[in-house]
Amino acid sequence: MESNGKAVSPKKKKVRRAHFKLFGKSYGVNDTVVGVSFFLPALILGSIFVIAPMLISLGYAFTDAKLLSLNNVHWAGFRQFALLFKDKIMWKAFGNSMEFVVKVVPLQLCASLGLALILNTKIRGNTFFRWAFFVPVMLSLAVTSMLWMNLFNEQDGLINSIFEFFGLQRQKFLKDPDQALDIIVFISAWQGAGYQMLIFLSALKNIPRDIYEAADLDGANKLQVFWHITLPSIKETFSFVLVTMLIGAFRLITQPMIMTQGGPINSTITMSYYIYKQGVDFRDVGYSSAIAFFYTIVMATVALTIRRLFGKDNTL
Amino acid sequence: MNKTIKKRKYTAGKITYKILFYLLLFVLCVIFLFPVWWMIVNSFKSQSLIYSDMGGFRTFLPTAPIGEWFISYRLLFVTFKEFGRSILNSVTYAALTISGVLIINSLAGYALSRFVFPGHKLIVSIIILILIVPVETSIVPQYVILFRLGLLKVPVLAYLIPGFVSPFYIFMFRSFFLGIPRELEEAAYIDGCGGLRTFFRIIVPCSLPVFATVGIFTFMGSWNEYIFAQLMFAGHQSMMPLQTYLQIINKYQPQDLSLVLASLTFSTIPIAIVYVLFQRWIVEGVAFGGLK
Repeated sequence: MESNGKAVSPKKKKVRRAHFKLFGKSYGVNDTVVGVSFFLPALILGSIFVIAPMLISLGYAFTDAKLLSLNNVHWAGFRQFALLFKDKIMWKAFGNSMEFVVKVVPLQLCASLGLALILNTKIRGNTFFRWAFFVPVMLSLAVTSMLWMNLFNEQDGLINSIFEFFGLQRQKFLKDPDQALDIIVFISAWQGAGYQMLIFLSALKNIPRDIYEAADLDGANKLQVFWHITLPSIKETFSFVLVTMLIGAFRLITQPMIMTQGGPINSTITMSYYIYKQGVDFRDVGYSSAIAFFYTIVMATVALTIRRLFGKDNTL
Repeated sequence: MNKTIKKRKYTAGKITYKILFYLLLFVLCVIFLFPVWWMIVNSFKSQSLIYSDMGGFRTFLPTAPIGEWFISYRLLFVTFKEFGRSILNSVTYAALTISGVLIINSLAGYALSRFVFPGHKLIVSIIILILIVPVETSIVPQYVILFRLGLLKVPVLAYLIPGFVSPFYIFMFRSFFLGIPRELEEAAYIDGCGGLRTFFRIIVPCSLPVFATVGIFTFMGSWNEYIFAQLMFAGHQSMMPLQTYLQIINKYQPQDLSLVLASLTFSTIPIAIVYVLFQRWIVEGVAFGGLK
């Protein structure tokens, strides 16, 4: 780092106006030296740990690469993809991921927007409620998973003892293939909603008051105000939250890894988890990459479609 | 006469509405808070007390005498000798990650906001592309690269280095720096300051909000990291950060629920403090993401 500063400063006066041409464009020598040297650390690390993994995973998808014999890799064409489409567990994982997305996104979206709308009105104890809904966000995913895993313990967990207290049937919860994924949906929304609530809240606070007053004078009811004024005013925030939430939901892995290890009977295995298992546990890098490639196409299509629907394709 | 009745009816309706509204709020609060409340309260009890209280409302009350509240915490540090170590590890990893992230990404963002060099436009487009198109790279290819570089033998480096660069933070810094008028730096250049000195003397002091936001978000990301840490430190218990070590306590057989709850509670204290102290920055950072 120091050498950059030294290399640049003594030459500065003479070099400042020096230019060179590359592909018909003219660049300042000084700008190039400083710019490139400032960008260099990020360029090196970014190429190795951001760009290269993408390219590698793209390349390995068409090979039979195994983690322990990476020097002996053979071209496999589309064989991995042919395998993939016949893999029942892959389809189970795909179905689980889609089910998770379809359930958690509306739930969490409604919860966070609803809470934000409530907190945007003048209520007593506003600050208290804001913190209350935000508390789960402070727990890490690992802590959330471990806590709820113990709460939902089928033998001596709190939830079953509450059920018993109210005379309800004890449940198997995470040990029941019909319930496990729904429980993960619930705890994910529970943990995350407070965060998006804050995003919505700051967007709601930015809506100018006078629009509401005008609507009030026109005699619009609350639902009309929400539908015709509030929602369009926070459209960009809404699409941002929706897309980030979707991508997050597509990538679900921590909760099932901690709580169920994908079970029972693969009912909570997700795509990200299956890709991880194939690549890390089974060391089948080629197959894992093929699944990742397939899943990337699905994810990108959905995310880009939603961006297009909201008419803004540079939401970041 | 008629008028007063009408008025009273109106207020009665309004009162019921208010009551229902606050009832809803109360229920929501219970849903959001009861697990955390239960976790904290029961971390002050012994395992046998936790289970004997479980059948009734006592489970939500700190029923142990106050002198015994912290027994489970003391036991936690005694039984799991590396728990304290894992906290220290987490703090160290977070500090290193924050320093690396702030230096590398701010310099990169500055380079992209001020200097036109060959490839400049291409880099900006690539960054935007990475941010827009979700790629399921997962950790497998990263694992492969670390494996090939031989870094897996040094788990700490393998764990830390990939986290240093983030297209999102580069972009965040760049957007912020673009808003700083160039005249400020021109004066410094005329005075003979080099690029690096100008950056640290002029740009950094003007950009404390973005540094704070990125720093806090990096802290939260690093503190909460689980999967990658699990992968890198499997079999290296003494190097594990807190989040992965928690699973060792949680999985230990026979499980002692009071120790598990104490460890979960204790591990949340540092990040809760960060949230409380820096809430303004967090809300602003969240809003930044939302407004872009």
